[in-house]
Amino acid sequence: SDDFLDSKPVTTLTDANFYQTLEDAELAIVGCYDGVQAINQEGVAFPVASEVFSDNCFGGTGNNDGYGYQLLDEFDLQRSPSDQNLFEENWINYYEAIYRVNMLLTKMDQIDWEGDTATMHSIEAEARFLRAFCYFDMVRLWEKVPLVTVPTEENVPQNEPDEIYAQITNDLLIAIEKGKETVEAGRVNKWAAKSLLGRVFLFYTGYYNKSDLVGLVSASEALAHLEDVIASGNYGLVEEFKNLWPAASATPDPENNTLISTYAGKDNQETIFAIKHNITSNYDGDTDGNHWLVMLGLREQAFSPYGRGWGACPVDPNLYNAFEEGDERKTASIIAIDEEGLDFDNSGQREYTGYANKKYIPLALPDGSDMAVQNGGFNFMIGQYQDYVCIRYADVLLMAAELGSPNAQDYMDQVRERAGLDPKPATKANILEERRFEFAFEGIRYWDLLRQGVETAANTIARSTTVLNGGVEAQKVIDPQNIIDTRGLQMIPQNQISLSDNVLKQNDGWN
Amino acid sequence: LGLSAQITVTGLVTDDSNEPIPGVSVLEKGTMNGTITQTDGTFSLQVPEDAILIFSFVGFVPQEIPVDNRSVINVVLTESITGLDEVVVVGYGVQKKKLVTGATLQVDGENLQKRNTISALQALQGQTAGVQITSTSGQPGEELKVIVRGLGTIGDAGPLYIVDGVQTSDISYLNNADIESIDVLKDAASAAIYGSQAANGVVLITTKSGQTGKTQITFDSYYGIQNVARKVDLLNAREYAVIMNEAAINSGKAPYFTADDIDNLGNSGWADTDWMDQMFYDNAVTQNYTLSFSGGNNASTYSTSLSYTGQEGIVGGPDVSDYNRYSFRINSEHKLFDGMITLGQHLTFAYIEKNGIKVGNQYNNSLRSAFNTSPFLPVYNDNGEFLNNTKNAGEMYNGAEWVPWYEGESNPYASMIYNNMSDDNNQKLLGDIYLRVSPIEGLTFETKYGLDYYTIEERSFIPEYELSVYDFREHDQASQRLEKGVAWTWTNILTYDFDLNDHDFTVMAGMEAYQYKGTWMHTRNTDLLPTGLDYAYIDNTTNTDLARLTFEGAPNDESMLLSYFGRVSYNFGEKYLLNATFRADGSSRFAENNRWGYFPSVSGGWVLSSEPFMEFTDDIIDFFKLRVSWGQVGNQNIDPWQYLAPVQVANTNYYFGSDDFDAAGNTPGAYPSRLANEDLKWETSEQLNIGFDARFMKSRLGVNFDLYQKDTKDWLLQAPILATAGAEGPFINGGDVRNKGVEIAVSWNDQIGDFRYFISANYSYNDNEVTEVPTSDGIVHGLTNMLYDNSLEFYHRAETGYPIGYFWGWQTDGIFQNEQEVLEHTSNGTVIQPDAMPGDLRYVDQNGDGILNDQDKVMVGDPNPDAVFGFNVGFEYKNFDFTVAANGVYGNQIVQSYRNHANGFANYTTEILERWHGEGTSNTIPRVTETNINYLFSDIFVKDGDFLRISDITLGYDFADLINKSFISQLRLYGSVQNAFTFTKYNGMDPEVGYGVEDGSSGIDLGYYPRPRTFLLGLNVKF
Repeated sequence: SDDFLDSKPVTTLTDANFYQTLEDAELAIVGCYDGVQAINQEGVAFPVASEVFSDNCFGGTGNNDGYGYQLLDEFDLQRSPSDQNLFEENWINYYEAIYRVNMLLTKMDQIDWEGDTATMHSIEAEARFLRAFCYFDMVRLWEKVPLVTVPTEENVPQNEPDEIYAQITNDLLIAIEKGKETVEAGRVNKWAAKSLLGRVFLFYTGYYNKSDLVGLVSASEALAHLEDVIASGNYGLVEEFKNLWPAASATPDPENNTLISTYAGKDNQETIFAIKHNITSNYDGDTDGNHWLVMLGLREQAFSPYGRGWGACPVDPNLYNAFEEGDERKTASIIAIDEEGLDFDNSGQREYTGYANKKYIPLALPDGSDMAVQNGGFNFMIGQYQDYVCIRYADVLLMAAELGSPNAQDYMDQVRERAGLDPKPATKANILEERRFEFAFEGIRYWDLLRQGVETAANTIARSTTVLNGGVEAQKVIDPQNIIDTRGLQMIPQNQISLSDNVLKQNDGWN
Repeated sequence: LGLSAQITVTGLVTDDSNEPIPGVSVLEKGTMNGTITQTDGTFSLQVPEDAILIFSFVGFVPQEIPVDNRSVINVVLTESITGLDEVVVVGYGVQKKKLVTGATLQVDGENLQKRNTISALQALQGQTAGVQITSTSGQPGEELKVIVRGLGTIGDAGPLYIVDGVQTSDISYLNNADIESIDVLKDAASAAIYGSQAANGVVLITTKSGQTGKTQITFDSYYGIQNVARKVDLLNAREYAVIMNEAAINSGKAPYFTADDIDNLGNSGWADTDWMDQMFYDNAVTQNYTLSFSGGNNASTYSTSLSYTGQEGIVGGPDVSDYNRYSFRINSEHKLFDGMITLGQHLTFAYIEKNGIKVGNQYNNSLRSAFNTSPFLPVYNDNGEFLNNTKNAGEMYNGAEWVPWYEGESNPYASMIYNNMSDDNNQKLLGDIYLRVSPIEGLTFETKYGLDYYTIEERSFIPEYELSVYDFREHDQASQRLEKGVAWTWTNILTYDFDLNDHDFTVMAGMEAYQYKGTWMHTRNTDLLPTGLDYAYIDNTTNTDLARLTFEGAPNDESMLLSYFGRVSYNFGEKYLLNATFRADGSSRFAENNRWGYFPSVSGGWVLSSEPFMEFTDDIIDFFKLRVSWGQVGNQNIDPWQYLAPVQVANTNYYFGSDDFDAAGNTPGAYPSRLANEDLKWETSEQLNIGFDARFMKSRLGVNFDLYQKDTKDWLLQAPILATAGAEGPFINGGDVRNKGVEIAVSWNDQIGDFRYFISANYSYNDNEVTEVPTSDGIVHGLTNMLYDNSLEFYHRAETGYPIGYFWGWQTDGIFQNEQEVLEHTSNGTVIQPDAMPGDLRYVDQNGDGILNDQDKVMVGDPNPDAVFGFNVGFEYKNFDFTVAANGVYGNQIVQSYRNHANGFANYTTEILERWHGEGTSNTIPRVTETNINYLFSDIFVKDGDFLRISDITLGYDFADLINKSFISQLRLYGSVQNAFTFTKYNGMDPEVGYGVEDGSSGIDLGYYPRPRTFLLGLNVKF
């Protein structure tokens, strides 16, 4: 009889018996977080790309590497014509994360919540936040992306930016309404949603020169949300700026081959939302490590506490020199190679400037070995564990100030005071200037420039200077016209355009 | 020495119709004494009075006649009508070759054994019209790609293998000497009886069985040495320095070396390594020893053998690339109750040790890395250890501290050695027991239980090492893997033969059940104590960090099939032939509502030569049969449960904790990783075949001819899905491909006195065209990042109107010789390549829009050959035998990409010395630069893959007659050259490139492990 042919998998669940219980719902939302973690693990990670685009950094990497990072830095496909799919893995991973959220949201009704409405609301809020987070990255990178909110196999055309922003806004408003008030490490709550809404508001209204967020959120509402975060008392500034960053807060102890650290720790009181990492990446499919940190390590050399890596994002000396006298953030943010007396051999480095970022960099022990590997990481490339802090409290303060909070001056003073600086008037220009120093290398600067208008961004980023390629002087030119032509947007992966049979249209300037 | 009296014997040799036969060999048995008949059929020969005469002639059954003191002996020889009375294996039965109405072909085991290959499939090469057999790598034990009548799918296109009635996925365990015959069912009508799994053809293997009354002991052996037949030359240090300089200048940089530097490279502290030489191993051994016994009496027959086969790899040598197979076989059959019941069995057991280097894609190809490493890098440091190319690693070379020329490269030889230390083996047991009952005349019931059991054990070790900043391992590692599986097949067949007057019927009905189950376990851990391959067991690993510890185990996907089938064979006077088959298959791989597939076929034949009105041709045409067939077959080659969406839990963790290092602290998550398709059903292949089999001129000339059209529909295809779907695409049914072709096989056998010779040749032409693709753009795209780092798509797996896997790129039109030519290369006044420099490739703007983009990409090559052909020529003269075998293809192209063009410092082959370096210097090879600017995919990667290979030349001599011991019937010593010559314009190491980067892709040479040239000596002894 036919029974002989019956067969079912025994080592995987199937969707027929999933999304049923509270336990399934918990598994599913963790799956969504895992999906969001993956967006930066392949391709060019958003935080790295954002710094390369900006005036903080050049592309860098190895002197003999491909020119993909120069393509990004100079907004010029001709720099590396075959790199038309630089962002394809990101594009795929964003949609994978979104798919997981979409699946869960469509199954909310079939789950037996056992009357636990609080959990039900919180899971929905988390899911919606994560989806909004992904779309906000995507709409900034590529602007018109296909907006998918229920799982589909259709060939979905691109949506207008306003439609995408409306979805982001709606998701965040629901997350604000339903999100938890308590703060749990790694978990999205309503405060995170309010904070992200502030960032979305500022970017949208700035880049598109609008007064409100697609008619759904006014400036005063956006401000009110930020004020709520501040008033909640859940968050605060870490006392010393350098303690936000593992490398900046570490001192080598050669005698014991260890690092003495004053690091405030993951999930410190300043963290509002972070993509979290652990040392558990391997080549069997576990990707919990921070896979992009290695890009920012010093080119193939370790100088404890700074670990080795591939030398992307050499820091523009302009930034180093622009810090005010006495600004503690200068040395907490930037490795000045000569000033710190590092015997760095730049013959393998492209676009060497003498400066590197200190916020996101692997750690090395005094004997030069990699900190992550010494503590169980698979290797220094995928085993890194530093969280990517997407939104921190200082940002909320400065956003609230920028949106005209009655306490604007106080908020700005708090930030400056922590940096060891005297107050300065909380004008919009001063606030934006402050953000440059406060958030360098955190994936924020470029978008702050772009929201001041494409022209402003283009002219600020434009460069004609000299760098060292493999120790040899070379001209480095960033033509502002390229940024204007592309409106600061990135290329849509060519493979996806082909797959869609040209239903997807490439962004201007990238053809 | 007993001397008998000599007498003269005379006589006449005639055929059935009393016609004299000239040229018949008349030989005194056991001697060289003999003659041939005259034109009038008479002969005369001096022989001892007790001699035995052997009369033989092509196309006739040989006869042995004792002289018995007679002086006149007249002989009537009967025509053997070679082959036509032989039976061939068809599905679930045998059939007289004469009555076959489908397109099948048979190669007997002797012809396989003669080829001295370790794989039967390789021995088939060139002997089988319509079957394209291609090495996927020259590495010992690597699989061969077998394509019957053109690619029918972009999935798994391999045929179904049936050994003595038991299906199996792989026949590499078989020793050629154990094979009686191989039958290939090519058309759907022949294959349809295998229904669900026969869309890509069926290969039936029959192993040897014993014969009543004939005890035979044979010992066969050969021993050979193998070397690379053709190497590719890479630039030496001096040439490399010149090219690097030129690339730097062309890229706007200062040159790296002065003329003095180049003259003094010998003292520069850098090496001049020929990495190709380093990778190849000289005089690798290949050998085989087989001892067989067979015999039997009226009640029982047996055939048994023991064999060892070994082949060392020519890349890296036996430490990293080696194949050893030990096998034994016992087949027997016993008749009980006066033959009413027959009980029999087949059993082959093989123990195979196989180690190999990486022969995969650009990142998993040991040989390829040698192409890309500069000659400056030495193999060893001053201590004789592999040199570490990391800067400041304190390595000493030639008495000075090593300063890397390019830190991105690392010793490819060392990397191959370090990463291929393994001790792997697998065992396979394949056999069956059958019981056949014939209660009444013509009625037979057979039940057969077959077993295909295998185990795989893999153990490997990687040491802690550092060869460069990119190629290093911080912890040594041991890995152990075990897998076993068993497939059983239970077959029940009822056959009834009967005739009504001249109407012969054979009716067969049967059922079959098949099940496969298996499991595997794998553990991997680091930090061995003690360390080394000998100690690479998990018990010796000490690491406790979870990130470096892997432990996994699961069942293999089970698979079940339930089938019912039947066949009616009818003939009228062996003149009008008709066969019809039907099979119903239920498969566990499909959802319940699509589980069953139905596969019919019908075929007919007409033996024209038996018609009275054809009598006038009898002198020329001995046999002529016209055949027509039609049938449908299926394919179910997908993983099970594609109709379900699996929820992935593994690797779906997230860390919510706040510790820096917390390997055990992750929280598990889950998500549905693939979309489901409940409507998934069988892939179907439908084929029409028209052909004839004919024998002419006393059967000396044989011709087989076939015309076919094969349409494969509803491919089982993993949908190329848009990223917006967010999950893996499901398998869908979609895509049609049509293969049309012609096959001709011609053979000629004749004898001139003692000189017997034969020529056989076959030729098949196939045209492959995709007729429908179900994706939004009508294309199933190929992979990117395959030819070198970040390289773009260069082939389409499938696109409507094109062959499967065709190469898709820009067409070039020479090289810009000067600035003026760049400016003159326009469409509608627009300069097409404004950024081009003299020396760059000129591309064709196909659509004339003045912009060079994807719209200008066209078919620049087709990896599928238009034609596959082979021939064998040979003769026997007295005790000598000589054969030459050849095979080849034409009409296909190969994409060659040895170099990683994303790496400016990668070495080149010497072809680059012919580059453009000034006006008029080259119109085919562009200038060198440090970028990939001239290596965006275009036809400059594409080369013609036509070749004719003389695959085997053998000369043998049988000493049995010289020894004159009656118990030794053969003592043949022979010498062979395999892969003796290859005629080709292809400039790679081997034009037979079966490698593709995925299913539906082929003909891609990324640094292909070439097939060796082998010189061997062999011995056949028969008692």
